[in-house]
Amino acid sequence: MAVPVSQMYTVASYVLSKKLKGIKRYPLVLMLEPLFRCNLACAGCGKIQYPDHILDKRLTPEQCWAAAEECGAPIVAVPGGEPLIHPEIGRIVEGLVAQKRYLYVCTNAILLERKLKEFKPSQYLTFSVHMDGLKNEHDLAVCRDGVYEVAVKAIKEALRLGHRVTTNTTLFDDANPDRVRQFFDEMMALGVEGMMISPGYSYQKAPDKQHFLKKAKTQELFSKILSRPKGSWKFNQSPLFLDFLMGKKEYQCTPWGNPTYNVFGWQKPCYLLQEGYAKTFRELLETTEWQNYGTSKNEKCAECMVHCGYEPSAVSDTFGTVSGFARTAKLTLLPTSR
Amino acid sequence: MQEWSALREARVTNDECKMTDTKNHTPSAPDTLEGRKFTPATEQERAEAIEFAFDYRGDVTLGLTSGESIVGFLFNRHASGEPPTIEFFPQDDPSPRTIAYASIVSIAFTGEDTANGKSYEAWASKKESERRVEAARVEEDARMRGLL
Repeated sequence: MAVPVSQMYTVASYVLSKKLKGIKRYPLVLMLEPLFRCNLACAGCGKIQYPDHILDKRLTPEQCWAAAEECGAPIVAVPGGEPLIHPEIGRIVEGLVAQKRYLYVCTNAILLERKLKEFKPSQYLTFSVHMDGLKNEHDLAVCRDGVYEVAVKAIKEALRLGHRVTTNTTLFDDANPDRVRQFFDEMMALGVEGMMISPGYSYQKAPDKQHFLKKAKTQELFSKILSRPKGSWKFNQSPLFLDFLMGKKEYQCTPWGNPTYNVFGWQKPCYLLQEGYAKTFRELLETTEWQNYGTSKNEKCAECMVHCGYEPSAVSDTFGTVSGFARTAKLTLLPTSR
Repeated sequence: MQEWSALREARVTNDECKMTDTKNHTPSAPDTLEGRKFTPATEQERAEAIEFAFDYRGDVTLGLTSGESIVGFLFNRHASGEPPTIEFFPQDDPSPRTIAYASIVSIAFTGEDTANGKSYEAWASKKESERRVEAARVEEDARMRGLL
C-alpha cells in the first residue's frame, strides 16, 4: 500500500468523526503556500506571476503553524512557489510535524539534496517531488534542461536518508499514455513510496459542448494510462479519484476540501480560483458562496477535474457509502483489479 | 468614455487569460491593461476598475482623495462591505493597507503585467532559440538571488 496504515487510520478517523457529527464542510488537506517565489518559471504556471515585492513576502513559521491549527486538516501540503527557498522551511516543517500533521512538501527538488540536512526523517514528513514525465517531457514542462536528472539524484539521496518520497505529476491532453506508463515504471524503480497524478486545470470560456469534449478527452487519456495497471505501481491518493479521472465515477467538486492559505490570507474559493481572501478559516467557510462553484455551477469549473477539488469528494465517497468503501478496499488490496 | 470601453474589452480578453498552475490554462493575450490609467466618473465605474485591478498581476498606482499617490499590489476587495474597501500591499511597506473605495479617484496600471505572454501556448509558439534565451534569463535571475 502506498499510504502507511497510520496515515490511513488518521484520515479515516478524522473523516468519520466529521460525518458522525454531521459536519458537512470540513477540510481534508491544507494547501499552505509559504511564499510565491520559485527558482523555475514553468510555462504557464500561474502561481508565481507577481511583482517582486510580493514574491519576496514569506509566511512566518508562526503563521504557518497557526493556519494549520486553525484549519485542523490532518494533512498539510506545502506548495508555493518553491518551499525550499523559504529560509525557515526547516522550522516550519518541524512545527507542523510536532502538530502531527501529515505533511507533503511539494518541491521541484532543485534544492532538495542541499537542504536535506535541515529535515529529520519522520512518518509525518513526505517530500512530494514535482515530476511531469520522463526526462524530455519533464525538462520541457519546467523549461530548463537537466532538472529531471537533478530531481532524480535528490530523490535517491532523500530515500537513502530514510525520508518518505512521492512524486506529483500534472498531465495534459498532449501526454503520451505509453510514455506516462514508462514514467511510472521509472519512478517506482527509484523506490518512491507512491505517485500522485492529476490533470492540469484548463479554464477557458467556451461552450458547454467543448467543455464536455475536453473532459471526455481527459477521461480517455487517463483510461489509457491507468487501465491494466502494473502491480508495481503505487498511487499515494484515493483509488476512487483515479476512477473519477477514468470516467468510472462522477463527483461534484468539494472546493472547501483543500483550503489554501498564503501571504494574502485564506483564498476563496479554492486552490485554483482566486476570487478574494478571508482573514480567518471560519470566515472562508462562512462567507464563500459555495453554491456558485463546482461542476455545472460555474463556467470556470466546467472542465476542472483537479485533485484539489475532487480527491476530497472521492474520500468522502469512501467513508460515506458502502459501495465507495467496498470499491476503495478492493482497489487498495488488489490494485491491478481496476 | 472611449478609454472605458477599451478597459472592458481588455477585461474580456483577460478573463480568458486568468492563470493557475497549469500550462494549458492561458491563451496568450495580446492585450493588457499595462500602461493604462483610469479615472472613474461614477461609483459603478470605480467598482469595475477595482475589479480589473484585483485581477491584474502587476502593481497599480492609486490616486487618493487626500492627494496621496501609492504604488502597490491590490490583492483583495470587499465590494459589499460597509463601507466597501480594498486591501493593498504598498511596494515599500510590508504591512497591507485597507483603503475605502470612496477614497480612490484614479487607478493606473503602472507595474509590469507579470502574467502577460507567460502562457504555455505563448511559450510553445516561440522559436527554440527564443525559449532557450528566456529559460537562461530565468535561470540567471534565480542564480543571482541564490536560489539555485
